[in-house]
This record gives sequence, structure tokens and C-alpha cells, in this order.
Amino acid sequence: MMRYVKRALVVIVVLAIGGFCAFLYYIPPFFITPPEKFGADFAAAAPGVADIADPAERAIAERGRYIVVTGGCIGCHATNGPQGPDLTKYLAGGGLKLVTPERTYVSRNLTPDKETGLGRRSDDEVKRVLRSGVFPDGHVVPANVMPWGTFSNWSAEDRHAVVVYLRHLKPIRHQTPEPGPAGSLPPGAFEQDYGLKDYGVATK
Amino acid sequence: MLLPVSAALLRAQSGQPPPAQAAADGPRGKAVYTAHCVECHGASGQGDGPAAAFLTPRPLDLTSGKYKIRTTETGSIPTDEDLIRSVTDGLNGSAMPGWRGVLPDGDIRDVVGYIKTLSPRFAAETPQPVAIGAAVETSPESVVRGLRIYERLRCAACHGTDGRGAGAIAQQFKDDWNQPLHASDLTEPWTFHGGAAPRDIYLRFRTGMSGTPMPSFVGTATEAEMWDLANYVASLARKPVWAMSAPDVAALYARQDAEARANPVKRGEYLVDSMGCVLCHSAYDAQKRMLPGMRLAGGTLIRVEPFGDFVTGNLTSDKETGLASWTGDEIKRTITKGILKNGTRLLPYPMDWASFSSLHPDDLNAIVAYLRTVPPVRNRVPPPRWTSFPIYMWGKFRLLILGTDPPMTFFAGNAGATAGR
Repeated sequence: MMRYVKRALVVIVVLAIGGFCAFLYYIPPFFITPPEKFGADFAAAAPGVADIADPAERAIAERGRYIVVTGGCIGCHATNGPQGPDLTKYLAGGGLKLVTPERTYVSRNLTPDKETGLGRRSDDEVKRVLRSGVFPDGHVVPANVMPWGTFSNWSAEDRHAVVVYLRHLKPIRHQTPEPGPAGSLPPGAFEQDYGLKDYGVATK
Repeated sequence: MLLPVSAALLRAQSGQPPPAQAAADGPRGKAVYTAHCVECHGASGQGDGPAAAFLTPRPLDLTSGKYKIRTTETGSIPTDEDLIRSVTDGLNGSAMPGWRGVLPDGDIRDVVGYIKTLSPRFAAETPQPVAIGAAVETSPESVVRGLRIYERLRCAACHGTDGRGAGAIAQQFKDDWNQPLHASDLTEPWTFHGGAAPRDIYLRFRTGMSGTPMPSFVGTATEAEMWDLANYVASLARKPVWAMSAPDVAALYARQDAEARANPVKRGEYLVDSMGCVLCHSAYDAQKRMLPGMRLAGGTLIRVEPFGDFVTGNLTSDKETGLASWTGDEIKRTITKGILKNGTRLLPYPMDWASFSSLHPDDLNAIVAYLRTVPPVRNRVPPPRWTSFPIYMWGKFRLLILGTDPPMTFFAGNAGATAGR
């Protein structure tokens, strides 16, 4: 009798582990979802501008919304939910950690929250980050972490539109970590995996 | 080599202050420079920092001693006040920010002292400030005279008859370092590097902008004519969008949309430059500087845990390794749905096709039209490499059960076969 119980237990444990592995393997992140749904979800998550009373500001914010949505701010400044980004917390940050040899960066909260978001920054301070990567304390964020080097090519008017739109987001309280020390980097991955020891200069 | 030494000796004998105050505030100035300036201007000051390749106009090569914004004669080095003003107020229409309120005045003076040590010219030469002629106050008559001078000096060849490039003969501009440059839109004074007051504009005519195609008009126009021209250029200004009424905003956006449809390559270049395509789809050296000639040629390796290693594609118009063999629809499907030509689906990051799917069809066409014009660079990049089963399972366990954020790691370099090999 005891032997049957033991066997049953072993089978149950094996099945449970196997099932868990299968569950872990097949649960999306991604490829079950059709691509159109990602885009539609991202576009729908960005709050509209219809509630802005001033018509000029509304038109500018609409342009800003287009740039924010198509520019892919959400790609880094999303907030993680249980599965993938939590799109109800639009641009509340924290969803992406970027590991560089110097520091580990976590995306920031872009909502107008006064304590944890852009509510504590003036328009000029936000524009200075978008144009030059310079934070109010003088820290220069690398252009390959926050892509300000490319956003710098926005015309001043488009940059203004982006800031106008960001000011109209729903404020969400979400404290994101400050930049920390470098994370664990696989050393020499490039050389080991791809056999490229020289950073050769290409010729056309 | 001899000239700087002898000039320094001469100055020491004549009792002038020693050049550049290198000894006094060198270390402090260098520390400020290292903390705040290296990202664009580079450790050596040659304007080759990691961010430099994204920016138009490029960050200045400080070792050249050639400064655009000066109050000194053509070919002369700028005064200390010129440099302090540029650092304090920044240069509009470029990525150079004003450091007022960020850095204390003492730091700005120190860093200017350090910047001067980067070029031997500051030790060898003395700045020659221009004598500013009597100002001509703006008036309808002065503006009309300015228009005639605008025509006579052929300003329209670069800036267009309307100040916005209409009918301009020259379209592509290069600075002295062979880097791209735009002619200023004269109707947008908030983009003028050296300021928008008539005096600022006059000074650009008087001194020229060293290192760029913008010449000095000394000898071709009189002092009064340069003031008239400044008044004319100032009169071209339109309202910026933040000062506009609703109908003005609608009209401006309608005009911009129409221009984008009429010139999709230009609009596409703006989008590719500003949306960050260049950031990932180029190859970099170990100092994170873009490899020369590798703009948009792909090759950056991005490791996304726990999924694998992905190498950015070659977007140039190369026949074998680039996009020349892709149809416009295939390019657009990759941009908006993350499905490659061969049917492979991409993860939703790092290539953010879910966001790009909101692009207007005109903008997608513009991007394709521009990519077709990018000169071909041969760089065959390896296909994605997915991680092994145990690493994938462990990564997924961390991601979904432990709730750890998936880190992304960027590796500089060219994971593609280097061109020519």
C-alpha cells in the first residue's frame, strides 16, 4: 500500500515539474499575440488630447502625441505588469533596465507626478534633456542609453509639442530607481561569440 | 611648433597675462570638461564624442580653434567673453545647451580656460575684436534696402528667396570637417546659433561663421548695408508655435504636411535622424563612437535576456547585404509589424515596431524613400541567435515568477563582417 502511495507521489511530482516547465516554456511573452494587437494596444494606451480646452494647445499636443507614440517612448518608459508592460500606467517608467559598463540605468517616470515624475521639472529642464542629455544636476546621460542624440534633431517646435503632450498625461506616482553601479556584464561576449577582435574601420 | 613658443615669450616680456591660464584653473577646468562635455566633444576635444555622430550640426572640433560665434575678425580666435557667452547661453538650433543655472559661473570660466588649451592658436594669437559700426535702426526703408542686399549678395543661393530654402541652388552643405550641415531657416530666429537680435545677426555677417560655408561680408557690403541686411533677416521671422493662435497652428501644420508629401526624402531623413533608427542600426568602436562610414549599416549586437543575441540590420541600399533587394512593402511590414522579409517575427524590443505601427502612411513612405537614398555599405550581419533551452527557462523563470526586469545589453562593435573582408 505504502509503495503505491510513494509511486503516485513521484509521478505527481514529476508531472508537476514537467507541467511547470511546459507552462514556463509556452507562456507568451510574445509570439502568441498577433503583431497588430501590440501596435493597437500601444496606440490606445496613449491618452487622447480631446479634453484640452485651448484649441491651439490641443493641436500642438496632438502633434506631440504623434511624436511620443511613434517615437517609441513607451518602448523604454513603460511600467512592467505581471505579463509585459502595464499600459494603464502610461510612461510611468521603470520597465527597462539598461546595463552599460559604467552604470545601470532604469527608465524614468515621465508622467507629471510632482514627486516621482516630470512634475518636478520645468519645461526648459525637460527640453534640455531631450536636446542635450543634460539633467538639472549637470549629469550627462549617454546618448546610447537615452537616445537624446537623435531626439536632438527634432525641430524646436516638435520638441515643444512633445513637452506639451507629456504635461497632459495622467500623473502616476511611481518611484523609479536612480542610476546604479554597472550590472553584471558577460565579459568579452563580443570577442568570444562573434570572433571579432578588432573594431575595424569599414570602407565603402 | 616654433610659433606658439615665441609668441608666448613675447607676451611674457610685454607684461601681458600668461596665455590660457592653464596653470591656474587647468585641473578644475579639465574636471568640468570631463564631467559635462566629453559626450559630444570627445575626450580629446575633436568633436568626436559618442553622441557626436547623431547631431546636425556636429559638435565643434575644439582643437581647431575655429569658432562660428565670435565678435572678432574673420579668421581670428574668439574672445574669452565670446566663449563664456556660448557656454552660458548655449547655441540655439544645435545640441549645445546653455549651462546657466546648471554650472556655477566659476566652472564655466574654468572650462573655457581648459577649452582654450585644446587649440595651440589661443597661446599663439590674440583675438582681434571687430569695431562694430553705427547701428542702423530697423525701419521699413532699411528692410527694403536689406532685401536688395539679400539679392545682390545672393543669399538666396543657400537660404532661398523666402529664407526657407525656396529655389536654393545649394541643398547639401558640408562644414570644414566634411560633416553635414543645414542652411539656417531664416524665418525661425529661435534656431539662430548666435542669437536673433539684429546686432547678433549683423555680427554673423561682419565676422562670418568659421568652419562653415557662411562667409563674412566685409569687402562686399558696407557696415550700413550689413545692418540693413540684418534688419531684413530679422523681419523674415515668423511666430513660433508656442506663440501661435489655433488657426496659425493649423495652417503651419498643414504647410509642413504638404511640404513633407512634396519632398518625402527630406521628411524621411528627418524621421530617421530623429526617431533613433541611426542609434541601433550603425556600428560603433570600443569608445562607443560611430565607426566612420557605418551610419545605418547595422552591426550593433544587442543581447536581450533571456531571449538571445540580435544584430541590427543593414539599412543602406546595398544590393546583397542592405535593403536594395527589399520591396517598400517589406520594409514597411518590418517597421510596423516586426516581420522580416523571410517571415521571421521580431521580439517587441529592442526594435520598437509596435510603436512605429502608428506612423502615418505618408511618413512610412518618406522613411522608405529616404532609405533608398542612403549610399550602399557592404556589411552582412549574422542572423539572430536564440539562447539555449536551460538559459531560456531560467530567464523566463526570473522574468515571470521572480518578476525581474529583463536587462538589455548593448555591445559596441560591428557584429557583421567588416566591409571588404
